[in-house]
Formats: sequence, structure tokens, C-alpha cells
Amino acid sequence: MAAERADAVFDALADPMRRQLLAAIAQRPSTATELAATLPITRQAVAKHLSSLSEAGLLARQRAGRDVRYTVTPAPLSSAVSWMAEVGGQWDRRLTRLADALGEPAPTSTSRSQA
Amino acid sequence: MTDVVQRDLELERSAEEAWRLLTDPAWLSTWLADEVELHCVPGGAARFRLGKEEHEGWVEEASPPSEDSGGQGRLIFWWGREGEPASRVELELTPLPGGRTLLHVAETRPLELLDLIGLPVPGQRSPGYGPALVAA
Repeated sequence: MAAERADAVFDALADPMRRQLLAAIAQRPSTATELAATLPITRQAVAKHLSSLSEAGLLARQRAGRDVRYTVTPAPLSSAVSWMAEVGGQWDRRLTRLADALGEPAPTSTSRSQA
Repeated sequence: MTDVVQRDLELERSAEEAWRLLTDPAWLSTWLADEVELHCVPGGAARFRLGKEEHEGWVEEASPPSEDSGGQGRLIFWWGREGEPASRVELELTPLPGGRTLLHVAETRPLELLDLIGLPVPGQRSPGYGPALVAA
């Protein structure tokens, strides 16, 4: 069970946009509408990402009037998760800087935990 | 379980040319960190400034692309904030057809387990990092 859960968590965090959403929600609990207003993707795309983060147990849902507000769950995997989210985001920025400096296409990414 | 973060970037240049991007402090300061000092020999000292943070570390391996390695180049160093377990960064260059090169990045925290069971962690200069490894 724990290993399956870890896979779900790492899959959820493999996507740079989901890491960005998680970081935004960690800073301030938000609704999908609020998040879509600050990001270059649609509310529908935000909702899809939030749903996979929720399924991985990384987000909790709270009713907020007609909307749902998301908060970050203090997960048992939080140490690994926060390290991977932080380090993954740093490498995304570094390789984007390198690609920009060289005029290359954007980097590709994977994050996972290995046995 | 070892935490690992991996990234790939294809470069429109040969592995020999790309090696400079990984080892020349002037190039490294444009993308890896704000300031980089790196002595590219095994055991060589390394220092990185990332914003207001200082990371210190050392070089584990610095193998320029060569015929012996099938054209692959590899730079491995350790870095970390003071008081936290160091992590290991592996930057690997693999030649691709057409004179292009794949840069593969892997950052791992292989020593967290040592820390967890109370053994001294290389690269860690002060104690106080509590158990953090996860039961998964």
C-alpha cells in the first residue's frame, strides 16, 4: 500500500504545473478559479491537475460557498515530497536558463523515487 | 528508497563543446547557480551561491567525453546547505546522432538513510537533521 501511494505521489509530482500548483496552494489555500486566474492554463486544466493531486492524497478539499478550496495535506511522505518538489523546480529553472542561453528547446522532466 | 529527481535536455552541440557548459565556472554561473567555484578533479572543492544561499561541496568524478567512454562525459558532485545531508548531482553527456548531445541530470539523496540510522553523513558538518525518511 505504501509503495502504491508513493507511486501515486511521485506521478502526481512529475508534472511541473502540478508542482507549481502545489507550491501555490502551500503558500495560500485556493480555489480552482483563483489558481486559474494566476496561471497560464484554463480553469478546467487546473481542476484536472487538482484532482490528480487530491487522489495522491496531497490536497484536501474544503467547501467554500459554491466553490471548493484546496489545502495542502501534511502527508506521511511530506519530507520526500517537499524535497522532490523543491529540487525538481530548481532543476526546471536551471535547465530553462541553460536552454535559453543556448537557444535550445525547453527541457523534459521526470521525477520519481527509486528502490 | 532513494529520492531522485531527473531531467533531460538535448543540446545542439557536441559532447566536447557541452563539457565546457558543465565545467567552466563562467558558463556554470549563467545557469547552475549565481556564483560557482568548481575544481574539476576528484575530491576537488566546490562552492555555489544560489541567491542568498551558500552551498558547499566536493567533486566525486570529472570525466570529460573521450573515446574510451564511448564519447560520454560525466561530472558528479555533492552539494548541500550547512546542517543538512548533502545530495549528489550527476550530470551526464551522451552523444546523439547529428552532432547533438543529451544532458541528463540526476540529483539524489542517497545518504538520508545513513543519517536516519545515526551514521555520520559525508558533506554534513553539523548534526541536528532528524529522521525524515519515509516508510514507503
